[in-house]
Amino acid sequence: MVNWITLAVPFAYLGVLLGSLATFSSLYRKRKAMKSFTLEPWFPPHAPRDIYFSLMHLDPTTASPSGGKDKKAPAVPDSVLKAALLRRAIEDIKRVMALRVQKPALAMLLQRGSVGDDLWQRFLRAEKEMEDEVKDVVAEANAYAPGWGQTIFQSANEMLNNAILRERVEKQQAKLQEEKQSWEKKKDGYLKELDAEAAPAAKKPEDSAAPAAAAAAAPVTPTSESASTPATKTPESSGAPPSVAGSEEDDAVLVEAEKGAKK
Amino acid sequence: MSTDYNYDDKGQFFPFFVLTLTSLVTLPLTYNLLRPSKGLENTAPRIKSEFKPEHAELIEAQKRKRLRKERRIKRIITVIVGYAVMAYMAYLIIVTARATPKIWDPYDILGVSRSADEKAISRHYKRMSLVYHPDKIRPDPAKNETIEMLNDRFVELTKAYKALTDEEVRNNYIQYGHPDGKQSMSIGIALPTFIVSEGNSKYTLLVYGALLGVLLPYIVGRWWYGSQRYTKERVLVASAGNIFREYKEDITDGGIVNALSTGAEFKEMLQGAQTDAGLAKLEKKILAEDSILSPEERNVIKSLDDSGRRKALSLLWAYLSRTDLDDTTLDGEKYEAAPIALSLNEAFTAIALAFGNVRPIIGSFRTSQHLIQAVAPGSSPLLQLPHFTDEVVKSVEGADAKEHYTVQKFMSIPEEKQRSLTVGAGLLSEQQYNTAISVAKQLPVLEVSRAFFKVMGEKVITPSSLVQLVVKARFVPPGSSNVPQVEALDLEDIDPDEDDLDAIMGRKPAKNKTTKLVNGQKVEEKVETIQPPLAHAPYLARDHSPRWNIFLSDAKQGKMAVPPFTFTTFDKPLFDADGKPTFNIQTLKMQFQAPPQVGDFTFVLHLLCDSYLGLDTKMEITLHIDDPAKAAALEEEDDISEPDEDSIAGQMQALKTGQPPKKAKKPTAADSSDDESDTDGDAGDTSDTNTETDIDD
Repeated sequence: MVNWITLAVPFAYLGVLLGSLATFSSLYRKRKAMKSFTLEPWFPPHAPRDIYFSLMHLDPTTASPSGGKDKKAPAVPDSVLKAALLRRAIEDIKRVMALRVQKPALAMLLQRGSVGDDLWQRFLRAEKEMEDEVKDVVAEANAYAPGWGQTIFQSANEMLNNAILRERVEKQQAKLQEEKQSWEKKKDGYLKELDAEAAPAAKKPEDSAAPAAAAAAAPVTPTSESASTPATKTPESSGAPPSVAGSEEDDAVLVEAEKGAKK
Repeated sequence: MSTDYNYDDKGQFFPFFVLTLTSLVTLPLTYNLLRPSKGLENTAPRIKSEFKPEHAELIEAQKRKRLRKERRIKRIITVIVGYAVMAYMAYLIIVTARATPKIWDPYDILGVSRSADEKAISRHYKRMSLVYHPDKIRPDPAKNETIEMLNDRFVELTKAYKALTDEEVRNNYIQYGHPDGKQSMSIGIALPTFIVSEGNSKYTLLVYGALLGVLLPYIVGRWWYGSQRYTKERVLVASAGNIFREYKEDITDGGIVNALSTGAEFKEMLQGAQTDAGLAKLEKKILAEDSILSPEERNVIKSLDDSGRRKALSLLWAYLSRTDLDDTTLDGEKYEAAPIALSLNEAFTAIALAFGNVRPIIGSFRTSQHLIQAVAPGSSPLLQLPHFTDEVVKSVEGADAKEHYTVQKFMSIPEEKQRSLTVGAGLLSEQQYNTAISVAKQLPVLEVSRAFFKVMGEKVITPSSLVQLVVKARFVPPGSSNVPQVEALDLEDIDPDEDDLDAIMGRKPAKNKTTKLVNGQKVEEKVETIQPPLAHAPYLARDHSPRWNIFLSDAKQGKMAVPPFTFTTFDKPLFDADGKPTFNIQTLKMQFQAPPQVGDFTFVLHLLCDSYLGLDTKMEITLHIDDPAKAAALEEEDDISEPDEDSIAGQMQALKTGQPPKKAKKPTAADSSDDESDTDGDAGDTSDTNTETDIDD
């Protein structure tokens, strides 16, 4: 007779072993699937696409159920829908370009172990999504006008480039005011320096021509003038005869002039 | 002969087994724990400075916290437990050794030597029996003896005598070490009996199952997932992913700081209530009207939803702008955030290098400088000097200067003027000024004297050859006077001898190395690696050894051409014993593969120090690549015997130049002159170097 109890032991062992392996595998797969499902999307929400879809599905009959009036909301004109589609195409181009730039770098980083595997999974999903999105846009475009699908991304690209260019120009323009001010300030400073240099230069010939008389006169004139003129000068007044806003060079001239007088 | 297994019922051998196993783990671990750490940060000298920043104690506290983390508490506990187990086992061994029964040894009992023959033994026995016979001696009460004991002793003696005088017994004893002859062979297992005893088998099995089925998978799993959590740059995988997503082609200083704030490490640092604690106060300080943040950076902070990240970013900006937060906890967190950001910046650097755009790469090195020196992007490098504040900098640079002074520029103005600009009411005191100047004079400014390309052992650079970029530079601290002229000989790079395999293979040479001087003399030279002093970074809660990075970029495309080589040590001392700069010429070499085409390639050489602001060098350098045919021709002129086509050298030559060696001499010359007619002209007057340096600030 077969001893059933002793025979049951190996079968129980096998059962436990296989059962635990099966449980582990199914749990692991479920968790992995859950994880990939909850992977953070690569891009933020696609607003232009959402706008386009909400415009598309803005059904005239359902759009104005409230009020109970029979007044139908006007259907969304085709031109608006087309514009929305173009906007959507622009956003798509941005995203596709970003993906294209990122792909080699990400692959290299993954190989080196500088980024994790999740990121690569997320990237692949985003890539796939964008592929479907682009196909969808082409199909939609063809639905509006046959053949538009081939050119819609070209025109979207041009629009995008235009927008980028305009943005750059605006950025530079925004700096204009600030630059202008700082340049004005700088110019003032230079002009002041120039004036200061011009003052002694103008006096020199006088010195040599009439040493005694000028020596007495020269020190007086600039100081009196500098007292009367305001310290900060406008560019317009720089054309006026050399006058020095109280400075060390002025004193130097004074000393020089005195020396000349003693001789 | 029985083959019964004896278990270790008296516990004689089990302690040996356990002792061996524990010492196998404990001893190497002890070495690992006590070995002096060879990290760059631990062996480098320091820049002398008495400067103590405002929150020195907070920074010190953060440094200690970091050290504690690195001290490997778990390992210490393991070692202690290991030694405790070992001590216990040693104790067990000593105790049980005493308990083991003595083997009956007739020689010992009789007190004769083992070499004694029968006659001597019987003589000895007789003498003993005269002394020890129970009839002859009285029991000695002082020794607590009884008559039985005396009897027993005599019986033992007699037995031993019998054993030794009986031929058979003596032979047994000599052959087998036992008077009864050959003993049964016994095999012992060094396991205590309680493990195998009948009643305990269930528990033994349970423990065994737990060890193998639970503990082992747990340990392996923890190790695996633990290693998966971190990337190669030792940052969390999640952080690397976030930073990658933040990367943009035109990202610069502020943007990089923003990208770093996405690190998951900050989430670990700011757990629970810490996330929101003091956030309002912090933001009020950071977004105050007079703070240095640009409008875009303000908008970035305001637009963040995640309060954890918002706080991390605000803390970073507070650290960079050296804002006093009037709150010990917040200030502590501020100093904790900076080293984290610094390690995250390494991940950013790796990402920027993978993309290869020059601006983010330079930006990442600059961010490292900013973080180490606690100087906000766009602020003056002069803030690196101790006691320098915004007011002092303003006084030096002028109120509305657009360009910032570097430390070198500041130190190059005459001393009286320096003093008059910085010392005064609201500015620095005389002592503070002296501290600042002494630190400035110790900054390791690496000045490039010459940079050129060469191929080892060749006159010209051929396509796809392994090119060496040799940068000859010297440390000239700012404001150092009477800097000696660079000697022309120092700027030459002499190829190592052909028998110096170490140098040719680029291996680290042994302790001593023979260096060939320019005039052909050989000099035995002790090779040392000299470390520059640790970065002077009073605000950083971490020691950091400065690193110099050299990379080549293509100016036209804005792309990196040759990835950075990092230099942390140099071959000649920077400072002599008195702390005076030596102005030694340091040689920095990096190898890369030349482009496969012939022509002139203009690169921009970037030399960036990751620890100090304003020390970066940028210069143009041209790589001139010649036709291999011309190289061959040059070699022939040199009258070097051309290797045969079928010799090994010939094959090597073919590999190197990309074409089989020429058999005849004349056709080569003709060929090359035809080939080279268009490039010959400029080859003559173009030197392969361009040593024009324009310091980029």
